[in-house]
Amino acid sequence: MSSSFRFLEDIALADIAFEAEGDSLEALFQGATQALLEIMADPMTVAACWQQRSVKKDAAADELLIEWLSEIVYWKDAASVVFREAPLTLSRTGDRWTLEAVLIGAPVDPAAQTLRNDVKGVTRHLYRLEQEGPVWKVRVVVDV
Amino acid sequence: MKLNTGMTVNRISDDVWEIPTTEKSDMLVPARIYASRTLLQTMDEGVFDQVTNVACLPGIRRYALCMPDGHWGYGFPIGGVAAFDVRDGVISPGGVGYDVNCGMRLIRTDLTLADVQPKLERLMTELFRKVPAGVGAAGSVKLSRGDLDAVMVQGARWCVERGYGWHRDLDRIEEGGRISGADPSVVSDQAVTRGIGQLGTLGSGNHYLEVQVASNDRIFDPSTATALGVTGQDQIVVMVHCGSRGFGHQVASDYLKVFGKAMRRHGISVKDPQLACAPFQSTEGQEYFAAMNCAANTAFANRQVITHHVRQAFALVFGRSSEELGMELVYDVAHNIAKVERYAEGELLVHRKGATRAFGPGSMELPPVFRTTGQPVICGGSMETGSYLLVGTDRAVAETFGSTMHGSGRTMSRAQAKKQVRGEQLQQQMRQRGILVKAVSMSGLAEEAGVAYKNISEVVESVEGAGITKKVAELRPIGNIKG
Repeated sequence: MSSSFRFLEDIALADIAFEAEGDSLEALFQGATQALLEIMADPMTVAACWQQRSVKKDAAADELLIEWLSEIVYWKDAASVVFREAPLTLSRTGDRWTLEAVLIGAPVDPAAQTLRNDVKGVTRHLYRLEQEGPVWKVRVVVDV
Repeated sequence: MKLNTGMTVNRISDDVWEIPTTEKSDMLVPARIYASRTLLQTMDEGVFDQVTNVACLPGIRRYALCMPDGHWGYGFPIGGVAAFDVRDGVISPGGVGYDVNCGMRLIRTDLTLADVQPKLERLMTELFRKVPAGVGAAGSVKLSRGDLDAVMVQGARWCVERGYGWHRDLDRIEEGGRISGADPSVVSDQAVTRGIGQLGTLGSGNHYLEVQVASNDRIFDPSTATALGVTGQDQIVVMVHCGSRGFGHQVASDYLKVFGKAMRRHGISVKDPQLACAPFQSTEGQEYFAAMNCAANTAFANRQVITHHVRQAFALVFGRSSEELGMELVYDVAHNIAKVERYAEGELLVHRKGATRAFGPGSMELPPVFRTTGQPVICGGSMETGSYLLVGTDRAVAETFGSTMHGSGRTMSRAQAKKQVRGEQLQQQMRQRGILVKAVSMSGLAEEAGVAYKNISEVVESVEGAGITKKVAELRPIGNIKG
């Protein structure tokens, strides 16, 4: 399973846009998650001493992803943390997708961590999740 | 004239341009862009597309507007202003923004550059220590759920009654720092838990706390400046730019989701999903308005607590009380909000998304102290240039629903800025130019480099040329805190 992401330079002047890809939908979710984590802090500078499990379900994969990314932003503020990683699995039962994930990180510590952008929300501006041949892609703009 | 659009754009005056309703299907009113020719020519394609999309929204009156600092936003352009009939018009969270009541506050002092320069390093260190900034920063004010409910309703008043500031501060805040109609029962538990720990924090991105100098040669209207407490003579002032933090952001996210579903129920279709809206008189519309007012009041409270800490920092460094230092509030004003206001058409819901209210001297809504000057308007430039204090005019009330610019507006993306600028290098260069910057994030600092912003002076000249705002003073930065 492989995924990647890149930041888009030419859209959303005041905010941050990225495009993630994966060779499966689960890989795509992992790539988009990683992109969001990297926007907020350098994960390599964040310890793994806080964690939060999440289980989310939706019939639509694109809705599920935006809900999951929004939950990450929520925990950043609610627990005052940044993130090292967020391993996840995506499965389908009937007509519903189920995401199971663990957010792993640490309380915000500017002295120890390389902090980046404070994300306000995950927007639907130019939001698109689609499959092109064997590759799943999503474009996301976050408000900072 | 070459523009980043294929639409017809007609000149109304040197600083006002109009896109007629024939340029896009379903436009109910024309779109008007306030900008000099030069600024208009540099506006991105999204501005023209988005302002004409706004012109299609139900119940819109007169024009969909964009100010000269306009750029591409979510649904509404940044710099967008639109007014809707309260009876048959809509309310749109996209017309307010994620950061409800993101706004500006200006605090004056009796100190001069000569007083502050020798202690600037210590002052900036103390401000950086006292005002939490950056990703996930937590505030020092511990709130219970009941406290936060009270903050949502009472805004800045809650703070001054608990010793965070002075009662007279409330006379210098838009709406007295407390907008009526806030209802905590329509705010989600998620918004509460997201925001309860952040009162008194700055945030990051383009938010900042800046120590500035008001010099005689940059005072354009001395009598108005003096009336507002800005006396020049290298006077030190402090500007704060921040909003409602995670609480307001979650309110926006929650209701964008609600409105996405509500539109189908109300038979509304929009040209951009980010223009999700609902009839203002609908249950969803009224609940969002009440929740938005909760977030707006929380933002006023946020800037009030920050002011308290700024005063404490100055008192510590200069060995005198903040009262003795003359640290009075000049004004506090929102630039992301929707408000019910009365115009010739009747009661209208005015959305300002990256636009500032700018009532003129004739406005009875203003406290008496501003009825001779007009309402102060505070507009932030980049951290490398300057900011402006202006005042609103009666012409703004007549033409732009009492609205004007809010800042410089960006010219390049954050990713592009980081490619051109290194944060550490920029910090050094600014120090050499006499501006001390303390930042939580060096990459965030690079993103905020002056090269990424329009020339604010050009934007100011444009609104003055259009007669909707008058410049009072330009304020030069000497110290900046960024998240």
